[in-house]
Amino acid sequence: MVLRAFRRPSAAIAAIFVFLIVFGAIAAPWIAPYPASQFDYLHLFGPPSFAHPFGTDELGRDLFTRVLYGGRTSLGIASLATVIAMVVGSIWGFTAAFRKGWVDDVLMRTADLTLGMPVILLGLVLVAAFGSSIFSLVLILGILFAPATARLARSAILAELGSDYYLAAISVGAPPWRIVVEQLLPNTLPVLLARASIVAADAIFVEATLSFVGLGVQPPAASWGTLLHVGYSNLYRAYGYSIFPGIVIVLSVLALNTLGDNLQRALDPSRR
Amino acid sequence: MASYVLKRFVTSLGLLVLSSMLIFFILRVIPGDPTITALGGAIPDVDPRALLAVRHELGLDRSLEYQYVHWISGVVRGDFGKSYYSQFSVTTLIAERVAPTLQLAVVSLVLGLVFAVSTATIASIWRHRWFDSALSGFTAGGMATPSFVSGIILIIIFGVKLNWLPTQGYVSMQNHPFESFKVVLLPAITLAIHVAAPVLRILRSSLDDVASAPYIRTAEGKGLNRRQVVLRHLLPNATIPALTMVGVIIASLLGGTVIVEYVFARPGLGTLMVDAVFKRDYEILQALVLLAAAAFIVSSFVIDLLYGFVDPRLRVRGREA
Repeated sequence: MVLRAFRRPSAAIAAIFVFLIVFGAIAAPWIAPYPASQFDYLHLFGPPSFAHPFGTDELGRDLFTRVLYGGRTSLGIASLATVIAMVVGSIWGFTAAFRKGWVDDVLMRTADLTLGMPVILLGLVLVAAFGSSIFSLVLILGILFAPATARLARSAILAELGSDYYLAAISVGAPPWRIVVEQLLPNTLPVLLARASIVAADAIFVEATLSFVGLGVQPPAASWGTLLHVGYSNLYRAYGYSIFPGIVIVLSVLALNTLGDNLQRALDPSRR
Repeated sequence: MASYVLKRFVTSLGLLVLSSMLIFFILRVIPGDPTITALGGAIPDVDPRALLAVRHELGLDRSLEYQYVHWISGVVRGDFGKSYYSQFSVTTLIAERVAPTLQLAVVSLVLGLVFAVSTATIASIWRHRWFDSALSGFTAGGMATPSFVSGIILIIIFGVKLNWLPTQGYVSMQNHPFESFKVVLLPAITLAIHVAAPVLRILRSSLDDVASAPYIRTAEGKGLNRRQVVLRHLLPNATIPALTMVGVIIASLLGGTVIVEYVFARPGLGTLMVDAVFKRDYEILQALVLLAAAAFIVSSFVIDLLYGFVDPRLRVRGREA
């Protein structure tokens, strides 16, 4: 059923692109044309050329290599944050669905508190509170996206709780944890995974924004956002610098969004 | 009706108080306090008595709960405290920077909404494949593009290459209205794109939903041409659920303003907030986030009221729950 998601050409292209950037990030040390810190002082801010497809940066390093390595940081942070958001959100939502009553109410109200607010503002406050080390960034991003996942997990579980196989499992006398792991989780997993793709897109988005402003990844570590930060400072000098990381960010977010959207559509018949 | 209003009002108030507590205590989660900032940076051998004095002056030697109550009682009177960094009253700082932000918000809102509503309407009237696809592309692309990326692209095109428009700063409308507009144009377009994309998506799906309603077929059967059907029946009915859009609009405005102001170096509330985060100036941060939360909660409250007014069923549901 999931494979149906890839019938549309946009979904297939998106999936291929996601695969490409993930591959690029993982394989960066091997496929990058230049070593990460090879400077070329004679060609600072060079324009795109045969030798340097994206040009060179402020220290003469190849920008394409920088984008590849930056992808490691951006995608690494985004994927860890997504895992945290999904795990925390699922537990949150499952607890609310199972406990019902006032526990459900309190948990969901808390989730709703943060749902409407712009993520950037919350992100800024959390960075002010927790600092901008990679560790706190991952935590912050995870916390930012957990509430929405909680909502989704809760409604997914509620849908399953009304089904026959669940009643059957209970009447047979299966212990709760076993029901969750063997019956409920496998049925809610596809929906959650589709959501994970969108969360990953948002995580890349927010991390890039924070890093661009200087509150995310700190130098010397580089992410796509920090690359744009440098590019922005040198706009009038070498505008090409900003274009490439920018395009990469947009395409990555777009691809992940499209992928998640198509997965969701394939899994939810009413949305077709 | 009155009980509905009262209930919603109390809930909103509660949310507001809760948010203020959340904001206040989150910022103080890690140990360490802003005394160092107030003294002007990390000076290792600062006189401990000076430290104590500053602590006392800032009220940091009292318990957290006391500090919170002190802050809140000030807020209620309109006093948001003093910036740790600059010693100016936060209220003054905010008041100075409201105008640039307000101008940006209003112009972006107008541009964005006009664009979104008109293109959605035209797409509905024409129903040409290519136009629909173009709009879908714009929506998807617009939501995937961070505002600083589109801002940078606009700066490159209109500032660096063509040099048609200024790319940073702020000019007050009072003395130089034309110049003021030129300065606000690029940031406003950037923010408008950021706001229009989600609005367009909601509008289009809403129009789609309404298009399958029986009364639309009746209208077409009566002999109305496409334009009349859209303008008289489709659009008005599609915009009722658009009350939820207001929440989305406000959220994207609040979030987008911060980044767009930073990119275009506009001295507004957005850049104030970014600076405050950099300097860990908690008094400013608290005030700004509280204001943002208040704007959001108040607008939700108003929307709920409007909904309750428009759809009587919603007023009863509160009692059933």
